[in-house]
Amino acid sequence: MADSEAPLVEFDGLAVSYGLVQALGGVTGAFFPGPTGLLGPNGAGKTTLLKTLLGFLQPDRGGMTAFGKDPTREPLEVRRRLGYMPEQDCHIPGMTAAAFVAFAGELSGLPRDEAISRAHEVLYYVGLGEARYRNVETYSTGMKQRVKLAQALVHDPELLLLDEPTNGLDPQGREEMLALIRDVATRRGMSLILCSHLLHDVERVCDQVIVLNQGQIARQGEVRELTGARHQVFDVRFKGDATAVLTDLKDMGADWREGDDGVRLFLPEGQGPETVFRVAQQCGVQVRHLRPGAETLEDVFLRALGHEIQD
Amino acid sequence: MPIYEQGYRRYQARAPLRQARFWPITREALRLVLSKRAFLGLLAGSFLPFVVRVVQIYVVTRFPEAGRLLPIDGRLFGEFLNQQVGFTILLAIFGASGLVANDLRTGAILAYLSRPLTRRDYVIGKLLVPLFLTLAVTLVPGLLLYASGLALAPELYLKWELAWIAPAIIAHSLAISLVVSLLTLAISSLSRSARVAGLGLFGLIVGLEMVRLVLQQGFRQKPAMLLSVQTNLRALGAALFGLADREVVMAWGWAALVLTLLSLACLAILRSRVRAVEIVT
Repeated sequence: MADSEAPLVEFDGLAVSYGLVQALGGVTGAFFPGPTGLLGPNGAGKTTLLKTLLGFLQPDRGGMTAFGKDPTREPLEVRRRLGYMPEQDCHIPGMTAAAFVAFAGELSGLPRDEAISRAHEVLYYVGLGEARYRNVETYSTGMKQRVKLAQALVHDPELLLLDEPTNGLDPQGREEMLALIRDVATRRGMSLILCSHLLHDVERVCDQVIVLNQGQIARQGEVRELTGARHQVFDVRFKGDATAVLTDLKDMGADWREGDDGVRLFLPEGQGPETVFRVAQQCGVQVRHLRPGAETLEDVFLRALGHEIQD
Repeated sequence: MPIYEQGYRRYQARAPLRQARFWPITREALRLVLSKRAFLGLLAGSFLPFVVRVVQIYVVTRFPEAGRLLPIDGRLFGEFLNQQVGFTILLAIFGASGLVANDLRTGAILAYLSRPLTRRDYVIGKLLVPLFLTLAVTLVPGLLLYASGLALAPELYLKWELAWIAPAIIAHSLAISLVVSLLTLAISSLSRSARVAGLGLFGLIVGLEMVRLVLQQGFRQKPAMLLSVQTNLRALGAALFGLADREVVMAWGWAALVLTLLSLACLAILRSRVRAVEIVT
């Protein structure tokens, strides 16, 4: 996070509810220039935060500003500077991709000629240049995702909101979409908020991350900081029943969770592999494998949600 | 080189937002509707009564004795517009019943409302589509018919005492078009399927007309007239053009009140249904 840079979006004590159901419970934070990930499980409040930013929802209390303006008071001024790629399908029946994206540009305030010209340009950019005169309804899921990205980009927004942009894509399509989004953020210098429950996506694209859970911010900061050496991480395999070892390590302040192949241990500052070997020896358990690792975003995510300990 | 390397330029120009932000919505929707040949056929067919009426005026000017069978005074225009109500309903069903329903189904509503557009812009943009289509078969042929009357039979129509015909045509066409358009759009917003919305509109108009017929003819219930959209519109036409209509059994003021309340109800439905966020509690 570049502290010297002014945030694009700030929210302070923001609470939003749908009737009796509270979706955001007084969250405070900011989105700075650059790519930011918005992580959280379903129902965490990610989409609600985006929709409040778009001015679709009125906060119950607290406030939000985007580009120094209040989205509930000046929604048009805020929205013209945003590009939104919704999670669900979004196209107009009977329209070709070129017509749809040009139309989206025009709705965003571009003059018609400029909207048409930029629609072609953006469709080439997202890799649909050859298919741009086809009806969007005939597109594959991956192509529809690209059209959604194109319609969000056409008016060159200052902040791009991407709601689950890799939904429904095969691995190759997902990598291509992430490469595109990364390119938009790095080479084109566009700020974006990537809303996803896929940790890999956020890790690939974003510098900063906000983790939401049950309408609250569970963690926020730079991806590098959150996944860095805050904990000493080791992937360990024991021979035999390791329950006693893990219980003793937990008593010493360590956390652990089941990994793909053994156990992932998070040791507090000042402790290292020797602690693991010592405790294992005391418990009469053999350590068959021990490899240092880095705390991934998945670890941060699970820890933030309170799942770090072997439930 | 990946395809996305081919180029993307930043666009820094920020023109002030245009006043008529709804216009691109109307233009694109009309373009899509008018690109269908079947719909163009229906639109062309809606002009048949106009041709018949022009021939009627022509025949009466050539053979004055035919005027006893085919009177061509001011009432001709009222009868013509009453006939056109059926066409406006057909055009609304086939050309406009999916306007909001399709946007709800395909998620396009978000493509509109995430832009610098208000919900009012969206509704106005969509409302203008059926309004243009219905005015095209009421106001346009109505005024053309009046112009034909002036051209073919100036001795009949070029009189000060008949100068009310043109304003009456405009008023009645606007009333028909506005009511049908609002009803179409409101019903469209209640469904995610254009077909269901079309059937709903047809069912509502025809169904209420049937109920009116049964109650009015079978049980002599005069207020039943107010149930039918078509009959209420006919009541307005009868008042404007001085028509004697057996089905119109109540004062036109009641019909106007019902149509106004119906229009307000349609606006309320649109207000609650046209949202970027569907709130389910």
